[in-house]
Amino acid sequence: MSEERETRVVMISPNSTITPDQLVREVHAMGKELTVKETCYGTLIEGPKGMVREVLAALRKKHPYDVFSKVRAYPAGDPRRCRAQHGTRPGFSQLEAEWEALPLIQHGIQCIDRGDKFEVPKEKEKLPVDEFKKICEAS
Amino acid sequence: MKVFIDPPNSLILFDLVERFGHEPLGAMVPIQERIDNAELDMPPMNVTLDDVVRGLKYAGVEVPSGIRGRLSLWGPLIDEADAALIMTDPPFNFGCVGCERSNEMVKYLIRRRKIPALTIRYPDNEEEAKATVGQVKEFLEGLK
Repeated sequence: MSEERETRVVMISPNSTITPDQLVREVHAMGKELTVKETCYGTLIEGPKGMVREVLAALRKKHPYDVFSKVRAYPAGDPRRCRAQHGTRPGFSQLEAEWEALPLIQHGIQCIDRGDKFEVPKEKEKLPVDEFKKICEAS
Repeated sequence: MKVFIDPPNSLILFDLVERFGHEPLGAMVPIQERIDNAELDMPPMNVTLDDVVRGLKYAGVEVPSGIRGRLSLWGPLIDEADAALIMTDPPFNFGCVGCERSNEMVKYLIRRRKIPALTIRYPDNEEEAKATVGQVKEFLEGLK
């Protein structure tokens, strides 16, 4: 990965009370020389790798269960991806799917951090032919 | 340790691996390399000639070019990985949609490398989410 630039997608869980605006202000208040872009799902943070990681660690410390992040390959506001410049957005369906799942993951992390025990769910088995036949014949 | 995530573009898996103290290897890493260094217009839609040749290591010449192109990006990551985290049964729009054969091939390459790999199910409810996160935490802490 490039040492010069790191762009981060920071997504807020739908269960959280934090707003993207609030998150952007928090990053600005840290006084780092970073590009911060407010988005509908959270923020994009871009800058030198070390500085971005510092900011991310601070955000995770402050909002351990509300904020999730991954690296973004394209720079913030890149015309090939930016909606304002009619860029294509092939990653949007993925972000949408993950956004919907975040409350579950947030709940999971909270439970595990609390020390709750968990049971590994059983593998789904295939329906036996006899049972399937009974269902077909019943209706 | 370096942990390959499958689907390689997953924010949830990327975040969990980083949260539990490891380096995630996802699709964003090679795509950024090509944007910054090779100046390709739309990776992974566009790849370089070297990528096409590199893809031959992971998929034969008779395999559709899309699979070979994808594997030229993810194959080196699987080679580099010390462990892998695989999520199964996600909704249709979760992960790299478009080519299930590529996804199958990625799982095969992981199995062939015989690195520690954890397969987890996409959670449908809170209990399953707790189990998913718990399994990931145990697996990643065990790698240290």
